[in-house]
Amino acid sequence: MMKKKIALALAAMMAASSLAACGGGGGTTETAATKAADQGSGQEAPAKEGGQEAPDTVYPAGTLTVYAMGNPQYRQQYFETWLENHRDIAPDVKIEFVQTEGTADIREKITMTALSGATEDLPDAAMLDPVTIMDLAKAGLLKDETEYLAPLLDKMVDGATTDATIDGKIYALPDSVRPQVLFYNKDIFDEYGIDPETMSTMEGYIEAGRQLKEKSGGEVYLSYIDPTSKTWRYWGRRGLMPSAGAKIWDDNGEVVIGSDEGTKKALGALDTMNKEGLMMKTTIMEPALYDAINNQKVATFLIGAFWDEFMRQNCEATKGQWRVMPAPAFEGVDKAGAPVSQFMGIVEKGDNPYSELFRMMWYDFTFDIEAKEVWVNSMEEQNAPYSNPVSKEMLEDPFWKEPSEFYGGMSFREMEGKCLENGAENMAVTPQDAEADEIISAELEKYVAGNQSMEDAIANMDKNLKAKIGKAEVAQ
Amino acid sequence: MLKTLKKYKAPYLFILPFFILFFVFQLIPTLWTFYISLTNWKGIGSPEFCGLGNYQKMMIDNMFWESLGNTVIYWGTGLVLILCYALLIACLLNSRFLKSNRARAFFKTATFLPNVCAAIAMGLIFRMLFDENVGLINEVISMAGGSKVPWLTSTTFSKIPVIILNIWRYTPWFTMILLSGLLNISRDYYEAATVDGAGSLQQFWYITLPSLKNILFFCSVTLTVDMWKLFNESYILPGPGTSNSSLFQYMYESGFNVFNMGYASAIGVVLILILMVISVIQFLVRRNQGEL
Repeated sequence: MMKKKIALALAAMMAASSLAACGGGGGTTETAATKAADQGSGQEAPAKEGGQEAPDTVYPAGTLTVYAMGNPQYRQQYFETWLENHRDIAPDVKIEFVQTEGTADIREKITMTALSGATEDLPDAAMLDPVTIMDLAKAGLLKDETEYLAPLLDKMVDGATTDATIDGKIYALPDSVRPQVLFYNKDIFDEYGIDPETMSTMEGYIEAGRQLKEKSGGEVYLSYIDPTSKTWRYWGRRGLMPSAGAKIWDDNGEVVIGSDEGTKKALGALDTMNKEGLMMKTTIMEPALYDAINNQKVATFLIGAFWDEFMRQNCEATKGQWRVMPAPAFEGVDKAGAPVSQFMGIVEKGDNPYSELFRMMWYDFTFDIEAKEVWVNSMEEQNAPYSNPVSKEMLEDPFWKEPSEFYGGMSFREMEGKCLENGAENMAVTPQDAEADEIISAELEKYVAGNQSMEDAIANMDKNLKAKIGKAEVAQ
Repeated sequence: MLKTLKKYKAPYLFILPFFILFFVFQLIPTLWTFYISLTNWKGIGSPEFCGLGNYQKMMIDNMFWESLGNTVIYWGTGLVLILCYALLIACLLNSRFLKSNRARAFFKTATFLPNVCAAIAMGLIFRMLFDENVGLINEVISMAGGSKVPWLTSTTFSKIPVIILNIWRYTPWFTMILLSGLLNISRDYYEAATVDGAGSLQQFWYITLPSLKNILFFCSVTLTVDMWKLFNESYILPGPGTSNSSLFQYMYESGFNVFNMGYASAIGVVLILILMVISVIQFLVRRNQGEL
């Protein structure tokens, strides 16, 4: 009898402890306390026009969290300095940039947190791309920045907010607008007597590759082709497709990639370069490619301006040999590559005490010429990433025309600005893009692997897009 | 029913915590997954009911079929090769040739090491080993006069590194399970067989294998579940397109890369059904053999 009672008591204890463990109530007290502390001071200040003036608010103690990708620790340096200089309004505010794998990872984290109802765990802001902005804005997870940004639009480069605009409302603060550029190794072109100017057109670009192959006995490649999804990302969606005016969907959202002339032109050019052996087959951002670059085996990169930071970090042996020019244009389209925009979205999490504070930081990062220059110099010293500002006034400053050692005295920053001038229009952004990219990339990867011809790859893209997605929601 | 519950109160109370956890964290999510599989849902906002739309889409999705085919290959190769290697190594560890206990302990530890290494870390090392341009495997092939093999960039070869990594990671665990089974076989059987003139192979075939039947069955069931849930190995060693993707990986990517939660849930439901069917078949076969 005694044994039975002990057994019952034990079983009851186990059940109770497992239920308590499921409840996860441990954090409740702390969260409530933190919340109470947060509410104690600093009601969110109303958005001042353009954010130029500091509000008379003292922001509550805590950590302003930003989800970001790339190397956000460098960006954190700027914001930490800003906070140090503004201790009068944010005496006990810290900032933390959380490194993520990319925008899909950011979206997953924000979505899952919002879904669980733990809104206090959502970040205060996040680095976003157009597709993620579209999804998060639709779900009401991003603050509407239209009113705040309206007076600033004229001060920013053209199209700075285009990809963050949905139904006339702007849902994120522009962070960077970077063009597609053509990086080329001048020493290689000099050695083989090829004029880089021939690469102003796509036909000339391919011809330069042929000459390089012939004159170097097949030792030097025009560029690279990646067996993974990065071929679609860098050569396709952001590169050749917009340059050739290619379309995945028509204006009604119907799949047209299979019959689109622009697609044939864009992917046809890639096919020509690949078939003729002008491309080194290797994964981008991996040691094998860096070795090839350092050994002068790869002559050009037709890619986004972001590639600059990877070159500076990994290709020290070729310092001074590289130059930059606008991306080659397709005949009949005559546009360089399309710019790639990145944004900072402020997360709608109910009582977000740091919304206004983050806007102030963003404003300073975007428009404070002096502070930005100090930070950029520091980035140069650390071989760290930075991008051209979106502020027109800042771009006019001589600092942004200074020569770069890595580019043999040419000003990379100035060229980056110039390369935006004849940029092609980006492909239409739709909520179906992530799925479409997966389908298209899979076919392109099989093409790179040699499993199918480019014609078959395009036909399969068309077939699978129609079967799996059907119609995309294209904004009219 | 109530009478039985009253009679066996204590045992039922003891197993109650498990069932509460099972109910909250397994059964409810499974039912929720089934509901979500009937909707179009991007993870945010309200799910839109679409009936069997996601299942119809699956039927015409070649990426789904390719992932399913890959998983069957991983399962088949895993089941055969892992169990064969595990049995071979277990027999070697149990053999009388390993006379010293120290040597036995050393080989046991060395055998088990791959299982304690992080799958992703090992995947990254395998990726370096099988790199087409700078990988060690191709260097060795080149030194032997062969040409470089596009291990991870061709659909023909890309599954080989995944299968090798799979075998390397899972064999140790099953080796230990089989070794424990071997240690439980009485030496008397072998001595009697030796007296009767049976050779090593005959002893293995007529004594070792039948004695390990139940353990091998357990291994095959757990290995089947492991192989159908394969993720890390194929994720870290991707081939062109979905040529290396497992079904589990495709489900994850549909859910968290493409944010097609409804479709990912439909794949999840299919995965559950496949595993249930395989398990039932395995149990039926065993029951027909009179083993259960």
